[in-house]
Amino acid sequence: MEEQKTLFVDYSKCIGCETCEAVCRFLYDTPRIAMSRTIDGEIVPLYCQHCEKAACQKVCKRGAISRDANGAVLHNAMKCRGCETKDCLIACPYAAFFATCKGVAVAKCDLCKKRRAEGMLPACVEMCPCDAIKYVDRNSVEKLKTEASEEAFQRVMAHIRPKKFVD
Amino acid sequence: MVSLSVHSGVMNFGFLQTDSAPAIERSVGIIGAGPSGLAAAGLLASQGYEVHVYDKLPKPGGLMVFGIPSHRIPVDRINRGVRDLERRLGVTFRTNTKICCSAPMHEEEGDHFAADILSLSDLTDNHDAVVVCSGSWKSRKLTIEGSALDGVYSSLQFLFPIRAVKYAHSNVSMPDVSGKKVVVIGAGHSAIDVVDSARTLGAESISLVYRRTASEAPCGKFEIDRIQEMGVSWLEKRSPEEIQGVGRVEKLIVRNGVTDELEELDADVVISAIGEIPTPPFQKELGLENVRKGDVRWLNMTAMDNVFVAGDVLTGPSKIGKAVYSGLRAARSLTNWLDLKAQSRENEYNFEADKISR
Repeated sequence: MEEQKTLFVDYSKCIGCETCEAVCRFLYDTPRIAMSRTIDGEIVPLYCQHCEKAACQKVCKRGAISRDANGAVLHNAMKCRGCETKDCLIACPYAAFFATCKGVAVAKCDLCKKRRAEGMLPACVEMCPCDAIKYVDRNSVEKLKTEASEEAFQRVMAHIRPKKFVD
Repeated sequence: MVSLSVHSGVMNFGFLQTDSAPAIERSVGIIGAGPSGLAAAGLLASQGYEVHVYDKLPKPGGLMVFGIPSHRIPVDRINRGVRDLERRLGVTFRTNTKICCSAPMHEEEGDHFAADILSLSDLTDNHDAVVVCSGSWKSRKLTIEGSALDGVYSSLQFLFPIRAVKYAHSNVSMPDVSGKKVVVIGAGHSAIDVVDSARTLGAESISLVYRRTASEAPCGKFEIDRIQEMGVSWLEKRSPEEIQGVGRVEKLIVRNGVTDELEELDADVVISAIGEIPTPPFQKELGLENVRKGDVRWLNMTAMDNVFVAGDVLTGPSKIGKAVYSGLRAARSLTNWLDLKAQSRENEYNFEADKISR
C-alpha cells in the first residue's frame, strides 16, 4: 500500500453551504458526505475519515469492507448482505455510514473511486467554494490542523458523540 | 498518473471531466453566473456544448462574489474556477449584460451595472436552449412606518456595494457606518454578514434584533455567541414596530415579546436582513407564477420549449449547495431533452424524473 489518502474537512473554514453534499448527491444519489446541524446551530458535513484502524472494517462480519491501494476504505456491495444489525453504521465514530433504504441499505464514501481512476479528485474537494475539504495523505492531516480547526472539530464531535464528550 | 493537485485552489465547476468532450453542434445560453449557472455551464461545457453565460454584473460569481463576504468564501478560488471554465472548457462570459424582462430596471441590486440589454428571444434565437439561473436579488423590504427614511437599508443594499465598489461604478457608493449606531434586523446568515461588515467598516455600536430566541436563529447559536463576544448586543424576542426620525433614521421602536412593552433603540443606520425574494424574469411566459417561498417543487423545464430554470430564482433564497444541485440537474435535463428531441422522441422525456422535490 503505497498511499494512505483521506479527506480532511477544516470545519473552521466550512460555511455550511451544502455544496459537498449536493455534488455527492448528484453523482451517487445517496450522498456520502452529509450535512448536520450541531446543537449550537453550526451546519457541517459529516464524512468518512478512512481511519487507519477502521472500526467499520473490524465489525463487518461479511468482510464487505476493505481498503484499496490509495488507502480508501471501501464498502463492497457484492459481499454486503445489508444486515439488519448495521454494525458498520453504529461502529463508525464519525457517523459516516448512510442508510439508503434500498439495495444493500448502506452507502459510504469511496473517495470517488471512479474519478480517482481517471486522475480526478473527489468531487466534494473540487467543488467546495471555501477550500475547506482537502484530499491528502493521512500523514499530512496533522500539519493541516490549526487551533481554529481543532476547536471546531471538537464541537462537531461533541455533537455526534455527545455521551463520550459530556462524561 | 495525472497529478491530482492541479485543481487545488480552484472551485472546479467543470469537475465532471478532466478534458472536454469533442464539440457538438449545440449552443446553450445561461442567464446568471452564480453557483447554479456556473455548475450548469460546467456540466454542459464538459459534454461539448458551446456555452455562453450572461450576467448583469461586471464579474461572474454571483452572490458568492458580490454578496457573501470574502472572509467566508475566498474570491480567488471562484475567479480561478471561472477562468478554468473559459480556458479549459471554452465557456464564453458576457458580463454587464442583463436579459431584460417585464419588471422595471434598477429594481434589483446590481441592475445599474448592465451596459448591454438583451431580450429572452435574442437568446432563444441564438441558442438551442436557455437556462435561467438569475437568482434572487430583490430584498424583502420592511413594511413598518419609517422604512423609507434615509439610513434604512436591506441586507443586499448594504452588502452589495461593499464588494461592488471596487469596480468603480459611479452609481455605487459604500454605505457609511463609520462611527455610527447600527441596528440589524434578522438572524440569518446575511444578518451575520451585515454585522461583520458593519464592524469592519467601523460602526460605533451594533445591535441585532430578532423576533425569536437564539436557539431558533437560522444562523445558529454559535454565530450569535461569536458576535456577542465581539461586543454586539443581541436583542432577542423583539419585533420592529416603527422607525422614527426626521428625514433620516433616529430611532427604531421594537416590541419586546416577553413584556409586550415598546422599547426605543437609538439608531443612525437600520439594516433589515429578512430575506430576499426571487426575481424571475418573464414570469408569465415561463409559467412561474406559482413560485413562492416554501414552494420548492418544479420542473426544470419551463412552460417555454427549450427554456430551463434552476437555482434560487425558483426556490427563493437557499444555499450554494442547493443552487449547484439544481443547476446540475437542469443541465442534465436539458441534454436529455435535446437528445430526445433530435430523434423526435420528446414524448419520452421523463418529466417526473426531472422533478426536484427538495
